[in-house]
Amino acid sequence: MNKDLAVYLLEKAQKKGADDVVVQVVKSKKSQSKFANSKISAVKTWDSSDIVLFLAKDKKVLMTSLKKFTKSDAIALLDRSFNFLKKIQPSTSYRGLAKGPFSYSKHEEYDQSIEGMNGNDIVKEGIDICKENKVRRTAGVFEDTVGENYLLTSNNVEAYERGTSVYYSVRALADKNSSGHTVAVSRNLNKLGFRDVAKRACDIAKQSLGAKKRVSGKFDVIFEPLAWANVLNTVGESASIFSVEAGLSFLEGKEGKEVGNDNVTLMDDATMKNSFGYSIFDSEGVPTQNNLLIDKGILKGFLHNTSSAERYNVKTTANAGLISPDPHALMMKEGKYSKDKMFAGIKNGIWITNVWYTRFQNYSTGDFSTIPRDGIFLIENGKIVRPLKEIRITDNVLQLLKNVTQVGKDQEQIYSWESGIPTFTPPVIVKDVNITTH
Amino acid sequence: MEDLANFSVEYAQKKGAKYAEARVENTSTTGIVLKNGNLEASTFSTYDGLGMRFIVQGKLGFVSTNGLDSKAKIKRLIVEAIKKTKSSKKYGEKLTLADDTAHQDKYEVKQKNNLLDIDIDEKIKWIMESEKAIKSSGVNVPARFIGYSDHMTTEHLVNSDGTAITATVPKVNMYYLLTIAENNKVTQRYSGKGGSGGWEIPESWDLNKLFTEEVVSMKTNLVKGVKTPKGIMPIVCGPEVTGIMVHESAGHPYEADRIFGREAAQAGESFITKKMVGFNIGNEKVTVVDDPVLENSYGYYKYDNEGVKARRKFLIKNGMITEFLHNRETAHHMGLESNGSSRATDYDKESIVRMSNTFMLPGKVSEDDLFKDVKKGVFIKNFMEWNIDDKRLNQKYTGAEAYLIENGELTKPVINPVLEVSTTKLYHAVDEVANNLELFSGNCGKGEPMQGIPVFMGGPSILLKGLRIK
Repeated sequence: MNKDLAVYLLEKAQKKGADDVVVQVVKSKKSQSKFANSKISAVKTWDSSDIVLFLAKDKKVLMTSLKKFTKSDAIALLDRSFNFLKKIQPSTSYRGLAKGPFSYSKHEEYDQSIEGMNGNDIVKEGIDICKENKVRRTAGVFEDTVGENYLLTSNNVEAYERGTSVYYSVRALADKNSSGHTVAVSRNLNKLGFRDVAKRACDIAKQSLGAKKRVSGKFDVIFEPLAWANVLNTVGESASIFSVEAGLSFLEGKEGKEVGNDNVTLMDDATMKNSFGYSIFDSEGVPTQNNLLIDKGILKGFLHNTSSAERYNVKTTANAGLISPDPHALMMKEGKYSKDKMFAGIKNGIWITNVWYTRFQNYSTGDFSTIPRDGIFLIENGKIVRPLKEIRITDNVLQLLKNVTQVGKDQEQIYSWESGIPTFTPPVIVKDVNITTH
Repeated sequence: MEDLANFSVEYAQKKGAKYAEARVENTSTTGIVLKNGNLEASTFSTYDGLGMRFIVQGKLGFVSTNGLDSKAKIKRLIVEAIKKTKSSKKYGEKLTLADDTAHQDKYEVKQKNNLLDIDIDEKIKWIMESEKAIKSSGVNVPARFIGYSDHMTTEHLVNSDGTAITATVPKVNMYYLLTIAENNKVTQRYSGKGGSGGWEIPESWDLNKLFTEEVVSMKTNLVKGVKTPKGIMPIVCGPEVTGIMVHESAGHPYEADRIFGREAAQAGESFITKKMVGFNIGNEKVTVVDDPVLENSYGYYKYDNEGVKARRKFLIKNGMITEFLHNRETAHHMGLESNGSSRATDYDKESIVRMSNTFMLPGKVSEDDLFKDVKKGVFIKNFMEWNIDDKRLNQKYTGAEAYLIENGELTKPVINPVLEVSTTKLYHAVDEVANNLELFSGNCGKGEPMQGIPVFMGGPSILLKGLRIK
């Protein structure tokens, strides 16, 4: 784990006059079995070790990394770093690091059975499930990761955690134009539930066969968790104070104000068990916590590291990012509705199971569009009447949050290619969603 | 490092790989992040690593590490990776690569001013010109997010067919998001620049002119912009819009790995089938190429990451589909030779079929000639929001800087015109192609894990007829 070298780097950096130092040692081993056309198309493995160094001197801020893990390389890196620091100007936004020591939760998300596992076995079983469910093809990935993270700072912080994770993404194709996509994520192999999601992907794919019709106008939309997590990801990204300052947030100036209706309660929480985003400390070593972002529609605050918190006269939310605070894992509070009840109440609506290619016309207003993919279905009087194709949501994220009429009672954990922030969310109904098409 | 690549290939063969290919890479980078004129962070790093693909019992494996100090460790990782790959057994896809000539070569993109010789203070001073330009423009730009990075990469590629290539390619990149506010209204513009070469490349970008023109035109659009007329009318797209169109709907759908379903799970498939070579997809004035050997381009390479010699590919020639983008695997599926389109962003990524510099070839008339016969239409100079479905049929482009065309003249700015169109309609709607070719940089996303690869996209201004503006 190169802990000794991390200590050496820290001490030498301090001796050379650094005001603040963070040394992070990250080690991981990861495998991926990629499949397409119901065959395993590549088996990949990664082994990596990195030592990341953050230095601040006279408010000048530098991030770099150590290439070779020897003391002489560490000294050479520091020599170059201090030369580099002489040539850059101070950051007006940098205010220092959190002061330790801290005490941390003893809980770790580590499943020994993931060490050295063979993901091909999961993929094979998933392919067989899809064959049994009579879809034409399946594609996706299974990934298993074992990682360690050791953090030292010049402010009396020493922290260590290790973790495991598994990720399964499956897209079932009933024909070239009819598909269903689901994901399963877990820190523990036994809790992955990949069989259920493979079956669901097949069900959606078969149900979407024969889509011919496109529609446009205002519709009540049931968002599956996979689709809604993508929308919530944009809210999480907007909640970082860095995004607010950079013009990348539609939440700017809305603290204490209504940003959704009272069905919307959203947290950023790295302490949730089995969360893909579970972590006991942030990049400064501050113990993580549950941050209430939106409480019954009211924006409660932004995500901070120590530096930004000091500038706004608040406490850090333990979301460092040394340069930019970032969300760890989002959680939308569940409601009381079963999915059956949600469908039953819709007179004229659309069920959207997945979206992709979310892009903003204006980050600061929230004007955006995103494209539903995989199963898309027209609902009339509580019943699915036909699959749809080639539609687009062209709307505003804040408007969607204000139009959430029902929240499901069953949460799912989503992490996907399109939703990089792990997100626990139930399905939701949003009224009057603007649907466009070509 | 070349020795390490040879060693890895030989060892994988010894352990049963029928084909092996190793890339050992060394990269030096610097980066700068500016937020509202403040230097938020500067970065530098040097890293190296090994990535190798191999075929064992007909199955494809990939292994990567940045621990290059221990050959014993590399051996262990190769053995583990081969064992895991073999275990796919009957579920594994049987892979065959198209034959290719073995190449031995060494090439380097020439730099007048080597990126590694330019101190960080000079790079910071240069990018701060953007701030000066914005301030002296007098435009209210409350949020300014601007970044710069350069990468100097030397890659040694060796494969068991006898290919050995050493490539040194420096790449530079700048991006910006500007928020312009006037009279309680805001508009935003995201764009960037990129290229391959030395410090002379960013120095040629003229930041003062670039940022002044961006903020002044966006302010004019915000303050004086009128509602976009709706309906079917002539539309002129500027080179930046033509560029994103051909990237999304003439580049991506022609990636043969999508056509064969290999990226079905995430990046998606294609409405194109392998039988569509020779199919008429658009007006005869439409010719779209993908050209990696364009000097100083952001998508430049001389050999791809399978060691295949790169060349210009005609994806659409005079409105007919002529060629797809291939790696050695997809070329074999079609009984062809690879056309050198296999790329990886870093040593730790599998190379897959990618675009390089994709653009529509220019025509003969001037941009003004496109406007002259338009009684009422819209000119979309550049864009902000865009997207396309995963089969590359249903696309949308929303204008950022855009104007009303009346009686052959640009009269007033218009706000956010929207073109939402199917690919099959789009290329038949091209009525005229101007001679003002421009190229724009981007980082194109594909693959699992995601690989954001440097590309150019572009074209000339084009006149579209029969399409609806929303």
